[in-house]
Amino acid sequence: MLDKLLFKNQDRLQLIIAVFGSFLGVTFLVTSIHYLIKVQEFGEGADILGPNTIIVQKKVSNSGTLGIKATDFSELEIEKMRNMPFVEDVQPVVSNNFKVMFGTKDPLVPPFSTDAFVQTIDPNFLDVKTDKWNWKKGDEFVPVIMPRDLFVMLNTFMSASGMTQVSDDLVMQINCEFKLSYGRKVEHLNCRVVGFTNQVSAILVPQSFMEYGMENFSDGTPQKITQILISGQKNEFGLVEDMLEERGLESRDSQMVVGRLKSIVGTLFIVIMSISIIAVLVSGLVLIQFMQLLMSKNAYEVRTLMRIGHHPKKIIRKFFLYFVRIFGIITIAGFGVFVLLKILLDSVFASGGVNIDTSITITSILALIFAYGIFALASYFTAKKGIFNEY
Amino acid sequence: MNITLNQIMPEPLASINHGENSIWGNKVVLESGKRILLNASSGKGKTTFTTTTIGLRKDYSGSIMYGDRDIKSFSTDDWTDVRTRQVSVVFQDLQLFPKLSVAENLRLKNSLTDTFTEVELKRMLEQLEIDNKWDQECGLLSMGQQQRVAIVRAMAQPYKWLIMDEPYSHLDIANAERCMNMIHERTIEQNAGFVLTTLGDSHGYSFEQELFL
Repeated sequence: MLDKLLFKNQDRLQLIIAVFGSFLGVTFLVTSIHYLIKVQEFGEGADILGPNTIIVQKKVSNSGTLGIKATDFSELEIEKMRNMPFVEDVQPVVSNNFKVMFGTKDPLVPPFSTDAFVQTIDPNFLDVKTDKWNWKKGDEFVPVIMPRDLFVMLNTFMSASGMTQVSDDLVMQINCEFKLSYGRKVEHLNCRVVGFTNQVSAILVPQSFMEYGMENFSDGTPQKITQILISGQKNEFGLVEDMLEERGLESRDSQMVVGRLKSIVGTLFIVIMSISIIAVLVSGLVLIQFMQLLMSKNAYEVRTLMRIGHHPKKIIRKFFLYFVRIFGIITIAGFGVFVLLKILLDSVFASGGVNIDTSITITSILALIFAYGIFALASYFTAKKGIFNEY
Repeated sequence: MNITLNQIMPEPLASINHGENSIWGNKVVLESGKRILLNASSGKGKTTFTTTTIGLRKDYSGSIMYGDRDIKSFSTDDWTDVRTRQVSVVFQDLQLFPKLSVAENLRLKNSLTDTFTEVELKRMLEQLEIDNKWDQECGLLSMGQQQRVAIVRAMAQPYKWLIMDEPYSHLDIANAERCMNMIHERTIEQNAGFVLTTLGDSHGYSFEQELFL
């Protein structure tokens, strides 16, 4: 009966407009947050370096070749780059300054051996499990990450030798060997491939192995830093690119393209998400304003109910529950449409060759719950204020 | 529960000279269980008395005590209890819900304390000869019929005091008498008291106390 008294004489059209506005806002909000997260996650784990990380070196010019211009990085240069606001971290890529050969040592594959160029990078930049990425003297084998180009070369060699080519998994089972030498001093250490990379051109080894090689097999030549790792802030890849251009640095095109694309898409989604948040706020405000209008239209009824003995809290609860139910329906409907949209968008992405993870992100659900919570609070305080105005 | 009006002076009436026996500016005790008549011409403050006594107006000096408590100290919970169990009111402007039926208007009040069954409510309407209006919207009734609905609604709760602000202004003598009988029975039954404000007519009822403005 209270429902009939308080909610029957309302402007349905105004309610429908407010509900539709809120529904659109909620749907856009959950969709944009979901895809913003998916875009950020896209490519993670596909290679050993994070999506915002690139390896750069100085562009080699004729003067560089002639030794007039330095091609290595000084500590000061690295520190300056590290202090840029759009740069998360800069670390040197350390190369070997000792002689090392890499080869196969397995009866199942033909013997293959080559002078090797090994590098090591800060483990914080590596997307490999740390328990596999350790080595100390006496261990069964040295874990290495092999450049995919070297793997292709190995398979080409196998093919040319009339042998069967090997898969990724098989290569990781093959016993390999490092031969470290300095003068007459020689040491053979077993090694095994634990992963592949497209981002680094050298064989990657753990830092402890590099230190061991330098301590025991170096000819004393000072270590030069010719490559560095730069990790940029999310969605600020354009600024990193500008810095590279300004400082005459270069990176692999593929790394630059991925970083650039992710930066563009991420920025675009942030814009959409901002618009969605504004839309949710505006539509929430429209609903709250509708609630105020409804209470002002029912001022006589509210006042009389309290005069004949109805507790103000009971009337506040009526208005509060009515509007949180409406927003609840809007939230559920918005989520339902988002799920349908997601199915459609995922298939569009898949047919475009972008296979993103199809699970629903927890953050988008939390955003919905948060929006609902804010609206519930606003509804409660609006109802309380409106009712006590008539008390 | 006695109601004491202690030197009450509503702000809008402060500039007017009131008589020596006026309730305004004097101490008046409405003794528990008494039937009281408040007789005054228009504009003297009968409605001000009603709304001030039941806490709807706060623009006055002095104090109003329910028992030994000043009503200015009442919380929302206290007022809700007062309005559902201690003091019932028939407002001059009736305060019915015009879009709801007679039955719905009565249910909204009766549901707070479940004082009567629907059969009893219908019987009370029958006593006042408006039982055929049970399902009719209140806004469509005549003023006299609406006054009778408002009186039945005021009955539909336990009370210690019933305050009525010109409840018979649109009723003929016979209907006013029927209402008076019903109010008398119900008030006696509860060992309660009532205050009836009128424009001079005592409706043939012998009151125990008379107040003046």
